[in-house]
Amino acid sequence: MLEAGKGEYANHGRQQLPETSQAELTLPRVLSVLSSTLEKLVARNEKLVDGLNQQLSCGSVRLGKSLNAFHGVRAPSISIPKYLERIYKYTNCSPSCFIVGYVYIDRLIHRHPDSLVISLNVHRLLVTSVMIASKMLDDVHYNNAFYARVGGVSNAELNRLELELLFLLDFGVVVSSRVFESYCLHLEKQMLSNGAGLKIERALVSTTVDDDNETDISVENNQSSSPPQIVD
Amino acid sequence: MAVAAPGQLNVNESPSWGSRSVDCFEKLEQIGEGTYGQVYMAREIRTGEIVALKKIRMDNEREGFPITAIREIKILKKLHHDNVIKLKEIVTSPGPEKDEQGRPDGNKYKGGIYMVFEYMDHDLTGLADRPGMRFTIPQIKCYMRQLLTGLHYCHINQVLHRDIKGSNLLIDNEGNLKLADFGLARSFSNDHNANLTNRVITLWYRPPELLLGTTKYGPAVDMWSVGCIFAELLHGKPIFPGKDEPEQLNKIFELCGAPDEVNWPGVSKIPWYNQFKPTRPMKRRLREVFRHFDRHALELLEKMLTLDPAQRITAKDALDAEYFWTDPLPCDPKSLPKYESSHEFQTKKKRQQQRQHEENAKRQKMQHPQQHGRLPPIQQSGQPHGQMRPGPNQPIQPPVGAGPSHHYGKPRGPSGGPGRYPPGGNPGGGYNHPNRGGQGGGGGYGSGPYPPQGRGAPYGSNGMPGAGPRGGGGGGYGVGAPNYGQGGPYGGSAAGRGSNMMGGNRNQQYGWQQ
Repeated sequence: MLEAGKGEYANHGRQQLPETSQAELTLPRVLSVLSSTLEKLVARNEKLVDGLNQQLSCGSVRLGKSLNAFHGVRAPSISIPKYLERIYKYTNCSPSCFIVGYVYIDRLIHRHPDSLVISLNVHRLLVTSVMIASKMLDDVHYNNAFYARVGGVSNAELNRLELELLFLLDFGVVVSSRVFESYCLHLEKQMLSNGAGLKIERALVSTTVDDDNETDISVENNQSSSPPQIVD
Repeated sequence: MAVAAPGQLNVNESPSWGSRSVDCFEKLEQIGEGTYGQVYMAREIRTGEIVALKKIRMDNEREGFPITAIREIKILKKLHHDNVIKLKEIVTSPGPEKDEQGRPDGNKYKGGIYMVFEYMDHDLTGLADRPGMRFTIPQIKCYMRQLLTGLHYCHINQVLHRDIKGSNLLIDNEGNLKLADFGLARSFSNDHNANLTNRVITLWYRPPELLLGTTKYGPAVDMWSVGCIFAELLHGKPIFPGKDEPEQLNKIFELCGAPDEVNWPGVSKIPWYNQFKPTRPMKRRLREVFRHFDRHALELLEKMLTLDPAQRITAKDALDAEYFWTDPLPCDPKSLPKYESSHEFQTKKKRQQQRQHEENAKRQKMQHPQQHGRLPPIQQSGQPHGQMRPGPNQPIQPPVGAGPSHHYGKPRGPSGGPGRYPPGGNPGGGYNHPNRGGQGGGGGYGSGPYPPQGRGAPYGSNGMPGAGPRGGGGGGYGVGAPNYGQGGPYGGSAAGRGSNMMGGNRNQQYGWQQ
């Protein structure tokens, strides 16, 4: 579910994680929405890179270097949905962290438009941004060492990535409730346009998602995945 | 200095933070040190501007970038006010290691990360502790008003400072006072429904509601600390120098009376009230003990040191208090004496000697812990103070070749055993340094700010994910049984807090008890 408490989403109670057996049933919907949004983004960016490579025919395209630290040698075999699910299950961070983590990634893309989120870097970006979000939001959270084990990277690497991300964001880690809400709305629209037919149970605002306008922010045509430019 | 509107962000400030190296600065002198790391006075090579560099300690690998640092940075980015320290930039120092290609780039943060602050010459504690230093009443009013103005600005911007104390109040030679060290600060919402940690604020300045274990609190916690500082300025020494939490509470009760449902509705619902409530009746003696204070000062102090946080005066109302609007009026900061020139730097050798000298002086002080260097203010109203020192009307001693009076995190005051602040209150290793002073006092730019954090899952048991991998993990992602930190502060602390808490200190001599 995309929860956006009006005021303090940060303290918006942690999702009660039930017994393991039931965890599958109660995964917050934000995970699947976020997964599909990111999968689309990655697919589109990869196509873009391939296209450029063919055009140039002289090897790899020179993209921005901002995200270099997040690049793996090859793409991890775990899918984005599974990876997010894994982070959620083990760290028990609040669902809001995924929204805020997504905000960070989006800010990153806007700050460094020449950098693309692709399969080589999306996992590291995710674990790092969700971890920072959890540090910011959750009074109770796991340390970097734990996140590193969950995320499949070394402690040292994750620390480096954390700093990298903080500096790339220029320490712009504050997400106001207003911005938080707008991202929730955006993701909800994504969900509808996916045709998944999922209605989100909305704990937050009274406004309903406007079905007619669901396509006004189209991931397909944008360089970045994102909705509103953040002005904080 | 321009004052930005509340909430305004300096997003367009250049250069981008972290883009520059610490090599852009020439370190001149260390002005703070301890187990936590270092603060340097430094000069920006290009402009010649003097700044303070605070190194962020990052040696706890498991924790990564300290959350206190993230919080401090994000809060200081938000706050722009003449009475709040300005964070100018963040710089990095390249580490010695190189990446695979031999470029130092890959490890650009290995060497260290520094926060660059505007340079301030003194902190309030250091200034007050100078030999012969005696504040005038207009000077105290001037500092107090600036302190309240800065704090009011924080509070309307939904920021709790949570570590107001003399060594976190920096003063420059223009007489400006600025709040510093936001490492414990956090944003709050007005509904007071959030659960916040009560392990904040240096013990001597910690309000009764936190000592009694409340987790729902607001700006009033800072106002208690302000009251303690106010009384300290007037009195000449700290008023509640407790060794541990029980003694701290007892000292408070001795002066302010014991809390009950009459003077503090709801107090009996606060978690540790029943363990801590005094066994004998205790009357409020504040007016009696401080009867020599100026009438308006006493009136304001009464309102600040009010047990019930709901009735405690706010920063805004305090600024409207008669005290600030009656003679002698607060002076203009610029009219305050300059205690040393900020622009003339002594040679390195001289500094060395001076530091040596200061070291010796401090060492001496430690050998005579009972002596307080602090003097009560000069009363300009005519009648002498009479209480502590002869000749209270003597003028301010001109500073004699003393350097900036920073408190280098050395113990001050009753330094018999531990550092300035007792080490209590952080059992179980859960929270981030609630009593940062355990390592020694302040030091202006926030000296104890980034100690190793022992933060597992602070509350211990609740909601831990089961150990061991649970499906899902593709190749290379297996997590064995994760060893998360166990044992939160509450687990460990409850025990041992019980029975003897009131013991041991009843016959303690307090400075103000004659």
